[in-house]
Amino acid sequence: MSASAQTATREATSQTKSLNTAKRLSMRNLNKYYGEFHAVIDLSIDIEPGEFLVLLGPSGCGKSTALRMIAGLEDISTGTIELGETDVTTVLPKYRDIAMVFQSYALYPHKTVAENIGFPLKVAKVPKAELDQAVLDAANQVQLGELLGRYPRQLSGGQRQRVALARAIVRRPACFLMDEPLSNLDAKLRGFMRAELKHMQRELGVTTVYVTHDQIEAMTLAHRVAIMKEGVLQQLDTPKEVYNNPANLFVAGFMGSPPMNFVNGRIEGGTFTCHQGRAPVAGYGDHVNVEFGFRPEDTVICSEDEAHLSGVVYSSEMTGNETIVTCTIGHSTVVVKADKDYEIDMNEVVHIKADLEKVCLFDGGSGERLRG
Amino acid sequence: MTATAPTQSKGLMRTLFEPPAVGKMATGTKLVVYGLLLAWTLFVLFPIYWLLITSLKGPAEVNSGPFYVPFVDFQPTLQAWKDLLIIDYEDTLRAYTNSIIISLTSTALSVLIGSMAAYALARVSFKPNLITILIFVAAMIGCFVGIGIYGVDWRLTLASATAIFFFLAYAIGKRVKVPLGNGDILFWIISQRILAPVVVVVPIYMMFQTVRLLDTHLAIILTYAVVNLPIVVWLMYDFFSSIPKDLEESAQLDGATMIMTFREIVLPLSKAGLAATTLLVMILSWNEYLFALFLSTAKAQTMPILVAAMNAGERGILWWTMSAVIVVMIIPVVLLAVALQRFISKGILMGAVKG
Repeated sequence: MSASAQTATREATSQTKSLNTAKRLSMRNLNKYYGEFHAVIDLSIDIEPGEFLVLLGPSGCGKSTALRMIAGLEDISTGTIELGETDVTTVLPKYRDIAMVFQSYALYPHKTVAENIGFPLKVAKVPKAELDQAVLDAANQVQLGELLGRYPRQLSGGQRQRVALARAIVRRPACFLMDEPLSNLDAKLRGFMRAELKHMQRELGVTTVYVTHDQIEAMTLAHRVAIMKEGVLQQLDTPKEVYNNPANLFVAGFMGSPPMNFVNGRIEGGTFTCHQGRAPVAGYGDHVNVEFGFRPEDTVICSEDEAHLSGVVYSSEMTGNETIVTCTIGHSTVVVKADKDYEIDMNEVVHIKADLEKVCLFDGGSGERLRG
Repeated sequence: MTATAPTQSKGLMRTLFEPPAVGKMATGTKLVVYGLLLAWTLFVLFPIYWLLITSLKGPAEVNSGPFYVPFVDFQPTLQAWKDLLIIDYEDTLRAYTNSIIISLTSTALSVLIGSMAAYALARVSFKPNLITILIFVAAMIGCFVGIGIYGVDWRLTLASATAIFFFLAYAIGKRVKVPLGNGDILFWIISQRILAPVVVVVPIYMMFQTVRLLDTHLAIILTYAVVNLPIVVWLMYDFFSSIPKDLEESAQLDGATMIMTFREIVLPLSKAGLAATTLLVMILSWNEYLFALFLSTAKAQTMPILVAAMNAGERGILWWTMSAVIVVMIIPVVLLAVALQRFISKGILMGAVKG
């Protein structure tokens, strides 16, 4: 058998192996207390084998704590974690068959790239020849083949990130955990690594939990997104569903860039009314405190007689492919995405119309979604 | 504009204290800088030079001095060296061997134990209960009073004190909690060093007298190890704390055991700290005088005692011989510093985390 054929076979077997080892990850009623502080509250998520799940939320929402509990780096106050068929709640991190990519990369500074990548295998006492081959395979997969002899301090940020990834994939673990792995890269590199990460995860088919506060990363990478706030899971669904059908005011305001607009008012006889206008909302009962939510891209600037709302222009920014018009409507600031050729001056009166099919209504007090 | 830019990016302290590269300076500035550096070097090295030439002088040259340059100002003689290395050969060699054995062993002991304690303090969160500690101290005092004053059999006292401690710790300590943290433990350890050694030297003397260990290596080694332990813990705690926790957590997830993590990750990264600490503790033990004076009489005498003894002869202070002894005494420290210097380099953690 030729060398290349051997490599091909090896790749094929490792592929099948990885597909077979992808495991379901279940969190059941996870709770974490730091003294009096309740960091994670009753978190239950089932992650399918090979799924890419993103834990999304602002800083301090408990997403990283949840990830560290899965890794075994943080004690679990109550609840259980199952990986495959086994309950790993009290299992030490080293026996969990989990690989983690840290936000800081956590490369060993005194080891070369090859030694860094090979460390999990060295620990597992894999024979030298097999170890070298696996390190080479993993390094090639992230285009690091030529840098194996370098030390982390001689690498750029993007290269360090790749070493951390290679170290995670070399062992073919049952599950990947990633804690904001792209946050230390510049914007351009981040976009590129995002695509690469997605491609690699789909190719390896390893169950992945990814923590981020960047909703673009969540939208682009995830099979499903879990949005957290103050330790509580707000919504768990596909990126599309979370975007189009937010469960509450928080999710609606967190997803999207620029985020959803909200105007406060009330519903009376099937019509949403506020000081600056009105819009028909058929099928909703009367309600006194309502947030009328609509996305910037589902809104158009129109003539006065078709308008739902009216306000004045605060600023208008041409970004290249569109013009972002920010208007003040009563106490709310509303953003509208207009055509790139649209021009309007500051303080001019503006009339807008929302796509009523896509409008979301929320209770102004609890923030819960109102269903028609 | 260009002058203020680095201040903003680097911060005031760094701009003030980070030396600018000499190579980039104007010739005039360069001359001044090198001139100042040379003057300082001479100032620092002069005492050592003086020591060297004094060891080559006889009583006449020392007393009628000052003479600076051998062969020009005065005729050098090897008499002091002859006294030290040939006539008093046995005393010198014994003190020298004692010093080496004692400082090496005590340093090894305190660095080994101290760095393990420091690692635990840097990585594990302890919550000792002040009440339990106080009960322990009370039981211990009771134990001493029982044995020392009332002359109760020590086995009986120890057994009953232990029993009373466990009973009280369980009955009271479980209910009343005044939790302390790692910071308190660290401060307590450091506070042991704040205490002046002269306060404890007599009790220590009596302790070793009771167990008949006076004038032995063991007594001095144990004392030095204990006295230097707080310094090791303090320094190494800082070094271990500066290693990013992510590295150890990552190693754990990679499947490494705690011992493996310590050996493969923590130890190589704290080489600089260990080298610096070893050097410092070694020099402290090498130069220590007070405890050595109390704990040794003849067999276990160390170099500082030998040097001091030169002071007490009936012929007055033997400056020439003393200088020769001091030169001999400096040599191992210089060698050790040169050997460890390459580990004490900056930037070992670079590239571990972030960019």
